[in-house]
Amino acid sequence: MGDDFRRKMLLSHLGRANEILGGPSSEYEEESENDTLGSLSNFQDRSTNSHRSAMSILKIENKKKLNLSGDNNEEDSRLPSWKDFFDNNEIVELKQRNYRFNTYFTIPSIDEDELLKMKSIPFFVFHHGAGSSGLTFASLAKNLYKRLNGNCGSFSFDARGHSMTKPIDDTIKTDYNRASFIGDFVALFSSFFDKHLLDKTKLLSKISIILIGHSFGGSVCTFSFKEFMPMIRKYIEGVAMFDIVEEAAILALKEVDKFLQKTPNVFTSNKDAINWHIQHGLCKSKPSAEISVPALFKKSSSGKIVRITNLKSFVPYWDTWFKDLSKSFVALPTSKLLILAGNDNLDKDLIVGQMRGKYQLVVFQDSGHFIQEDTTAKAALTLIDFWKRNDSKNVVIQTNWGTPPQP
Amino acid sequence: MDMDADMDVPMQDANDDQLTPTLDSGMNNQNTSNDNNNNNDDDIQNNPITLATNSNDYSDDFKPGSSGIADNKSTTPMVLNNSNINQLDTWIEKLTKCEILSEDDVERLCKMAVDVVQFEENVQPVNVPVTICGDVHGQFHDLIELFKIGGPCPDTNYLFMGDYVDRGYYSVETVSLLVCMKVRYPNRITILRGNHESRQITQVYGFYDECLRKYGSANVWKMFTDLFDYFPITALVDNKIFCLHGGLSPMIETVDQVRDLNRIQEVPHEGPMCDLLWSDPDDRGGWGISPRGAGFTFGQDISEQFNHTNDLSLIARAHQLVMEGYAWSHDQNVVTIFSAPNYCYRCGNQAAIMEVDENHNRQFLQYDPSVRPGEPIVTRKAPDYFL
Repeated sequence: MGDDFRRKMLLSHLGRANEILGGPSSEYEEESENDTLGSLSNFQDRSTNSHRSAMSILKIENKKKLNLSGDNNEEDSRLPSWKDFFDNNEIVELKQRNYRFNTYFTIPSIDEDELLKMKSIPFFVFHHGAGSSGLTFASLAKNLYKRLNGNCGSFSFDARGHSMTKPIDDTIKTDYNRASFIGDFVALFSSFFDKHLLDKTKLLSKISIILIGHSFGGSVCTFSFKEFMPMIRKYIEGVAMFDIVEEAAILALKEVDKFLQKTPNVFTSNKDAINWHIQHGLCKSKPSAEISVPALFKKSSSGKIVRITNLKSFVPYWDTWFKDLSKSFVALPTSKLLILAGNDNLDKDLIVGQMRGKYQLVVFQDSGHFIQEDTTAKAALTLIDFWKRNDSKNVVIQTNWGTPPQP
Repeated sequence: MDMDADMDVPMQDANDDQLTPTLDSGMNNQNTSNDNNNNNDDDIQNNPITLATNSNDYSDDFKPGSSGIADNKSTTPMVLNNSNINQLDTWIEKLTKCEILSEDDVERLCKMAVDVVQFEENVQPVNVPVTICGDVHGQFHDLIELFKIGGPCPDTNYLFMGDYVDRGYYSVETVSLLVCMKVRYPNRITILRGNHESRQITQVYGFYDECLRKYGSANVWKMFTDLFDYFPITALVDNKIFCLHGGLSPMIETVDQVRDLNRIQEVPHEGPMCDLLWSDPDDRGGWGISPRGAGFTFGQDISEQFNHTNDLSLIARAHQLVMEGYAWSHDQNVVTIFSAPNYCYRCGNQAAIMEVDENHNRQFLQYDPSVRPGEPIVTRKAPDYFL
């Protein structure tokens, strides 16, 4: 305990030093910073009641802005908010997980007559990758919604250690094993399902859920599939992974240090942060970056914005993240889609799986790693096609074959 | 409005009557729409099944026929004379040493090849004895090994079931050699089209990049992909063995229905021609949605019915990696043949070819990767950021 405290203190100092130097921030720093952000602590206290309405969140957002000074506010007010992409933002407290999860979702609102005419309504459930946030899927969720004329649902959230999701009791040691992310995802979506879908029987009978994970999120989705209760799993029509290959990911982890050294954790404004992410190729689409990048930062007392997630805190858990991913993905007993960015860099298990026709592979050569942000429209079209092709509720295979000869 | 109406699909099946969509989404009341959508990459061209390509992929330069190799097609099959026999023999000798032809020679070759393969049938008749081969995928040295194991062409008759290019590092040499042999010995070797003999697929899986690397431009890629449009899509060995790259289609009940297709086009992303190049046999009966995103899966009941209806003894196909190089399925109604050993230099599989003799006896010859100087080292560049 004493050691841990000293470590905390040291890291806290390091974090402050780094902030001044523009180096990596520490996860502990953000905790101390919370004290200066009255509204944020407030917001957490009041959200102990497990489900917050969109209204109260909105209020808090406004309050936060009042607390801050400087010209950046005007800038920020021109940025889009989650409301432009999802219908709801709800804080969900799961005591057994010791987290308050920040979720975004849209539930299809279709009148009964229309509903009767439909065979299937896709519900897209997203899990972001490490260092990202639930809003990385904002553009994609909106694009899907438009293309499907509102006849679809979406659910996205901030995973532990990311953006607005916070521990309930931060004295309890947290970990970032893959199993913990899986446990969170399954518990959180199951609670969402119980609360928002279970009683809508007419809608539910048409729902086809597609799990979509970007990068590390793809690993979480793949390994979550069998963890869902059968009564939820039966609605899952497929799993899609965006730009993740086990072998390449494990190689890349060795290079993450270099990446982190090049990545500033403090910016003077959201605008600066957005521009930096675009200039460095982390996001190729400005509209996507305007909603995804600010979610990665919080205001510090200095008025600057500081990266929330400390990627270094994940290092001890990396060896769990991608283990056996390719094998497990290929073997999933559901429809599978893998979208890669750039080129086809499959590992052996994925090559064998592909050459046996076990899953659908799509390559977006013009996309960077964040497929959902860079090539939003193509990703949406591909997901819609994936849903349509594989949905047993709406697919009839037409044939011109006569009846088989009787034995 | 069908389900693809907003996708600005680059290719449509040429014969619309036959090509009623085989997959009926049945969702006419919930068409996808991009009306009022201000997303600026909305006019993308998207192949919804296999890959989505760059928006500029079908700029004028990339359009079918842009290489000009088929601009002056002959109305009669090409007749070899001493001069072009000598030329072809020289090219074959060069290619056998794994040396590429010049761009001009590739153009000459492709022009000759168009005048050979355009006259072949959608269901090309092939006589026994013949040696039937599966995917090669640019593994040139293994192709040379194949000819050692099976005997040299033209001493042995060959039937290749597609996928000559992509993934391996010698797609140019591999396809150049096979096309040379086809032109030189048109009655001794048959080369069918695989799903990789396509403009879209080769841009992602290696052939396009290899052409750029080896010739400094996309010209050779354009010539070959224009030629691929003319390749026959199935073959019928002595009226008994139906050979094709992928498998059956729910819209093709009889071999005669294949003859009615217009095959001279880019591989469509749905419909019967697509299915023939993409489908797979499956343990489940009936038709199924293919996990690949194109074609279908078909069960033993389907294979039995097809063979019965068409008085066939066997469907021979390639398309799937099988560890022993060949694999029976559907109670020997279907055989899969795969001729790229240690696929992608890393899968550890054997390769095989199937000899069919005058009496229709079948024999499989298996082989391992050839020993060659400078086996490519598969290096995988780590991405910058992969969390």
